Amino acid sequence: MNALELKTKFAGYVFDEISVTVKAESLVGYAKACGETQPRFTDPSHPDFQALPNYPTRFHGTRGLPEDFPIDMVRCFDAGKSIQIHAPVRAGDVIEGRSEIADIYEKTGRSGKMLFIVHRMNFYNQRGVHLATVDWRLVQREFD
Amino acid sequence: MILDLHTHSIASDDGRAKVENYCQWIARKSLPLDGFVLTEHRQFDDDSDYRSLEDEFGLLILKASEVETEYGHVLVFGVNDDLRARFDFSKIDNSLATVLEESRRCGAVAVPCHPGRPKVGLCAHWEVRGPVEGVVAIETLNGGSREGENEQALQYAEKYGWNRIGGSDSHIVSHIGRYATRFEDELANMEDLVAALTRGRFDAIQPESPRSPG
Repeated sequence: MNALELKTKFAGYVFDEISVTVKAESLVGYAKACGETQPRFTDPSHPDFQALPNYPTRFHGTRGLPEDFPIDMVRCFDAGKSIQIHAPVRAGDVIEGRSEIADIYEKTGRSGKMLFIVHRMNFYNQRGVHLATVDWRLVQREFD
Repeated sequence: MILDLHTHSIASDDGRAKVENYCQWIARKSLPLDGFVLTEHRQFDDDSDYRSLEDEFGLLILKASEVETEYGHVLVFGVNDDLRARFDFSKIDNSLATVLEESRRCGAVAVPCHPGRPKVGLCAHWEVRGPVEGVVAIETLNGGSREGENEQALQYAEKYGWNRIGGSDSHIVSHIGRYATRFEDELANMEDLVAALTRGRFDAIQPESPRSPG
């Protein structure tokens, strides 16, 4: 299957969901691990205590790709993550993460053909507020 | 007039530079550039409007494309609706002959870039697949080239009598202006650039030093 066929078949629908309750100690631990010192990220008693903006990047779904997605992981590598922040994550939030394939495209580089798969997780809190969108790019080299 | 003819912004999937930050960098470093062309990968950016940045920084900012063919990557200047209907910019296996010919027919100019680069440059494919009609210019100075790649491109340009352009191929702010193209004429828009590329009154250069203040 080429990139367009893969995109047609696999992109645009939610193939996995997770639910996570955010604990204050998790936010503090994450912030400190990132070297953060501002009290609103490290002190649960701070009136505006919240997660570091990139906190949702730590979450993974129960599966990385839809069932039956044809991929050779031996030829794959991680091409990084990006995050769009929409609203703060707070202690006590019950976060729902929904996974979908946002895009599949191909390109050529020095090493030859590459297939890029953009795995997107959208995060919402218990009130339905959209918190963040995290895109993770996976690359498969010489895919055909 | 000096333009960097090969740059990428965050509109490209691998670009990390915002156009405003390119402008700020050029101003802060007093780079001897009069402008630059955004050549986003496998697409043409219809949406962005950089006129306010042009006015603020006194730069010419034009939009083009970098498409992919079986002979490697190709910069296309003067993209219009007619041309976009002729081939699929998002594909990685377009025909070079088609890109060259349709660009010419639609009033654009197609220029193979980083020709000395393995897999995605013209030279290696030229040796294996044979010549293609319609090449008039190639990028002999590319800021992302490794040792020997620009030299090979220059050899091809001299051998076949092709005109030469230069571009940084910048994906991050600090790389803009590493190479550029000097035009004998003043250019005000894409039509002027296409006309100048067609006339051949330009050459690839390595900008030497920041402009002196004032």
